[in-house]
Amino acid sequence: MQDSVVLMKVDDFFNWGRKNSLWPMTFGLACCAIEMMATGAAKYDLERFGCGAFMATPRRADLMIVAGTVTLKMAPRIKTLYEQMPEPKYVISMGSCANKGGPYWQHGYHVLKGVDEIVPVDVYVPGCPPRPEALIEGIMTLQKKIANERILRDKWVKHA
Amino acid sequence: MLKDIASFLNSQVSGSKAEAYEAEVGDGHVSVAGEHLFACAKALKESSEFDMNVLQVVSGVDYADRIEVNYMLASFTKNTEFILKVKLPKKSSDDIPEVDSVCSLWKAANFLERETYDMVGVKFNNHPDHRRILCPEDWEGFPLRRDYVVQKEWDGIEVNPAHKVNSADHNFFKDVIEKMGGDQKKVTYSWKSDAES
Repeated sequence: MQDSVVLMKVDDFFNWGRKNSLWPMTFGLACCAIEMMATGAAKYDLERFGCGAFMATPRRADLMIVAGTVTLKMAPRIKTLYEQMPEPKYVISMGSCANKGGPYWQHGYHVLKGVDEIVPVDVYVPGCPPRPEALIEGIMTLQKKIANERILRDKWVKHA
Repeated sequence: MLKDIASFLNSQVSGSKAEAYEAEVGDGHVSVAGEHLFACAKALKESSEFDMNVLQVVSGVDYADRIEVNYMLASFTKNTEFILKVKLPKKSSDDIPEVDSVCSLWKAANFLERETYDMVGVKFNNHPDHRRILCPEDWEGFPLRRDYVVQKEWDGIEVNPAHKVNSADHNFFKDVIEKMGGDQKKVTYSWKSDAES
């Protein structure tokens, strides 16, 4: 491999790097966070997909996994955290509560009816709570989405 | 034991109107007059006979015409526990009944009384830090009251956005209630025979 040359599109090269080093934010709201921890631990080993490096600050993270019930009191704080993340950033909505309010959809006076009311969501993972396999599938779906992005073209070529 | 406590309170605190209610199922309680709650609690804590040195729970229940505040007291030295109740009349839906705080007797009462204020709306006089504990500070109304209506919007966020209301489920339960002859108490549909009969 010493003298070999690899030819590829710059976009693809960037995307390959970005999708295989997604850094999620250390951030959990309810019981879904327990499943998220299990996903990150030895048995399901999120590090295989390059996203086991849970960052303790939003400024170093590029993936926010909203794991759990988003209460109205928490909603402005989540929005602040999202705004503190550097671009390009992604959001996975994990579990029924974050997707649409979950069991609180009708009588939950204190629950935000879906985190997409305050931040844009890329992937929804259904389940109550989703098993680690489901979260991994959500992350792989997000990786597919990232692999097909054209960030250079979108940034530099007008009216592409 | 409840009768002993009631007679003890009546002898110690004049006008406390302590009454013992023995329950056939579950736990009985002793009810006292709202304005003498602090004196009764203090007497129970300081008595060598009962020595109620632990406050386990403060909670509130809304019964439309009154709000009951329950104090679960326990004694670690005598290995006993019982429920002390005050019944506070509620005149209108936005009426906030008042009762004295027991924070100076048991430190545990601080957060518990704040929660009771937050959920059912009871003002605790002489509380050192009287504000909401769970809901946002500027929340309107008390969620565990029977006549509670959720506010439309909080901090620019719509609480129940129309496009998120699951109308299919909504109509399903509406139909079920109609099938049961409008009996709101049998709404769960957990037992199919209930729905069919």
